[in-house]
Amino acid sequence: MNTHSDPLSKALHCWTVKPPVDANFRNAVWQRIGRRSQESWSVYLRSHATTWVAVTVLMLGVAAFTGRSTAHARVRADRDALIATYLADLDPRVQAAQGH
Amino acid sequence: MRYLLATLGLIVAAALGTGLLCYHFSCEPALHAAARKGDAMEWLQTDFHLDDRQFAAIRRLHDDYCGTCEEHCRRIQEATRLRKSLADAGAKPEAIAAASGQIEELRATCETALTVHLKQVAALMSPEDGRRYLSLVLPKVATFDHRAAPDLHLDHSPRNP
Repeated sequence: MNTHSDPLSKALHCWTVKPPVDANFRNAVWQRIGRRSQESWSVYLRSHATTWVAVTVLMLGVAAFTGRSTAHARVRADRDALIATYLADLDPRVQAAQGH
Repeated sequence: MRYLLATLGLIVAAALGTGLLCYHFSCEPALHAAARKGDAMEWLQTDFHLDDRQFAAIRRLHDDYCGTCEEHCRRIQEATRLRKSLADAGAKPEAIAAASGQIEELRATCETALTVHLKQVAALMSPEDGRRYLSLVLPKVATFDHRAAPDLHLDHSPRNP
């Protein structure tokens, strides 16, 4: 295959790109960086709303469940201890075992 | 990065607050106070919403029953001592078995008496509280698992033959 005789190949060899020089390019980049660093917290939150709402719901749910479960476990343990004390007072089998 | 950490910190603080609030509102302060004091009668009064009249009647019943309970206790101890003395004296197995049977009979009598007493106590409560009370205490009487009361320092080794 002779590529030198290919008109497309010749055209590509001759093709040079001369983009217009944007004198403001550097400034524009720094301005965008500056805007980003001056972005407020609320703007940040709004732009990541979905993620943070999901994280918040998950963490509050886990915390609520943990708090409630811990309290219920404590209530159960205290109630069991009180029932044991109450019945030990009334049950001769316990008192006989104690050797009263 | 600054906002990421700040947001995370805020959410963690909110989660801690939520957890503490849920813990606080799910606790039962009166029950915990009674448990701290080891006061079962205070527990009865608060956990089963007894008014003064109900509480006085239940306390009277409780005090009356304690006398019955002491008598049962004395008889069980006597029967246990008798069985031990028979075993120590090398008595016939039938005699020891009879003594064991006597102990079991006394234990059954005591369980029946206790169950009747608990039902009398429940009858003095509101129907709903009475049902809840029985559902809490009767299974423990039946399984005799309250002997491991945490504040009684009992010897948990089995004492039955």
